Amino acid sequence: MNPLIFTTILMTVLLGTMIVMMSSHWLMIWIGFEMNLLAIIPILMKKYNPRTMEASTKYFLTQATASMLLMMAIIINLMHSGQWTITKVFNPTASIIMTSALAMKLGLTPFHFWVPEVTQGISLTSGLILLTWQKLAPMSILYQISPSINLNILLTMAVLSILVGGWGGLNQTQLRKIMAYSSIAHMGWMTAVLAYNPTLTMLNMLIYIMMTLTMFMLFIHSSSTTTLSLSHTWNKTPLTTTLILITLLSMGGLPPLSGFMPKWMIIQELTKNNSIILPTLMAIMALLNLYFYMRLTYSTSLTMFPSTNNMKMKWQFETKRITFLPPLIVMSSLLLPLTPMLSILD
Amino acid sequence: MMTYIVFILSVIFVVSFVGFSSKPSPIYGGLVLIVSGGVGCGIIMNFGGSFLGLMVFLIYLGGMLVVFGYTTAMATEQYPEVWVSNTTVMGVFLLGLLMEVMLVLYVLKSEEVGVAFKFSGVGDWAIYDTGDSGVFSEEIMGVAALYSYGAWVVIVTGWSLLVGVLVVLEVTRGD
Repeated sequence: MNPLIFTTILMTVLLGTMIVMMSSHWLMIWIGFEMNLLAIIPILMKKYNPRTMEASTKYFLTQATASMLLMMAIIINLMHSGQWTITKVFNPTASIIMTSALAMKLGLTPFHFWVPEVTQGISLTSGLILLTWQKLAPMSILYQISPSINLNILLTMAVLSILVGGWGGLNQTQLRKIMAYSSIAHMGWMTAVLAYNPTLTMLNMLIYIMMTLTMFMLFIHSSSTTTLSLSHTWNKTPLTTTLILITLLSMGGLPPLSGFMPKWMIIQELTKNNSIILPTLMAIMALLNLYFYMRLTYSTSLTMFPSTNNMKMKWQFETKRITFLPPLIVMSSLLLPLTPMLSILD
Repeated sequence: MMTYIVFILSVIFVVSFVGFSSKPSPIYGGLVLIVSGGVGCGIIMNFGGSFLGLMVFLIYLGGMLVVFGYTTAMATEQYPEVWVSNTTVMGVFLLGLLMEVMLVLYVLKSEEVGVAFKFSGVGDWAIYDTGDSGVFSEEIMGVAALYSYGAWVVIVTGWSLLVGVLVVLEVTRGD
């Protein structure tokens, strides 16, 4: 793609999300979402093969439907409250429709079906933008309307997302699909605590973005999109192998690493609000996530994955220079002792 | 009848939307779009928006739809699909018509029955005044306000349109 056009389109994606996060008028928010959607389609289609085109079409259809539902909820809100500013949503019907629309945009169950297929069809860098930056805008709207969301629907979607994200990822060997299911599960954790303490949603989003960014950068660095090709990194860059181990365990939420911080805070906040069964169920279902992360680490860092002898040596291409990889890795594994700094997010 | 003109026009509006959503060939879709554009213009004019209705006719129908018609005429096939030529298209069209008829009956016949919305009769669709408050017409003031208070909206929508063109060209360019 022409570099000038590519820069313009990428800046429009950023501008769309900024407009969504900064606006106080519902119509501008809708315009921001549409601008974001329109501009990310050519980024998803950077390579011209039928798979990327199919993935972009699926993404466009689901997100356009979600935008239409959002517009309908905005108009119902206007009908019942007579004003366009974003405070809480004044009508239960509008609130339910808006929650469903934003869940479709995020990829929460039962609207999660597009996430693995779209993530699989596009290149690693586009998948990175899809799974991290695109989650910011809907989550910011959910944060702003959080006092008026119907709790039953929100918690059902959250728990089902954690279940589907864990269960669906179990049979996958393609790395992009694994990251997609991990995204579904993390979105479930984020929305579970939204009604109780939205600050923790933001914390979880921050740490999730850092960890997903790190994982994708490591995959891009070793140019691997399947478990088999990831398991050959011990030969090329053994340091990357160790870092993959640490970051994957952090994503699974294991204690001395920073991935534990949001899960710990969320479980604590839920139990403070007298729900015991829900966080227990969520923690148990997070074990499914941990299982397939550990399977990845087992095949990558801990053992030599079986392959034919001439596949053991990877061809030494020029090493890609990945910006910010060391700080990202440090942040996604060592942030746990900084938990008391949580109060700055308020 | 003039009090219910907006209601009648909106029914014709929805029926023509059903007409092109049932996906006949684009030529016939464009034909129905002309009808829906004209009817939409009528709806706006009944609320006092003569300038905006004129905009619809000039820019939408006379600019965009003409370009659409020419490009579709260049890419048309030998036997374009009409609403009655394909069972699926006819089925969807009849389904849409049926739903609209049921909605109209629901609005007209039932007082204060609520499913998701409370339709209290024809309600907002019947016009009893023109919306002119005082000396200035509301609608021209609205257009003027778009360029003064709403400058940010103009910038954002202008940028979206530019990026829309770039995106479409980029997507259809191929390798």
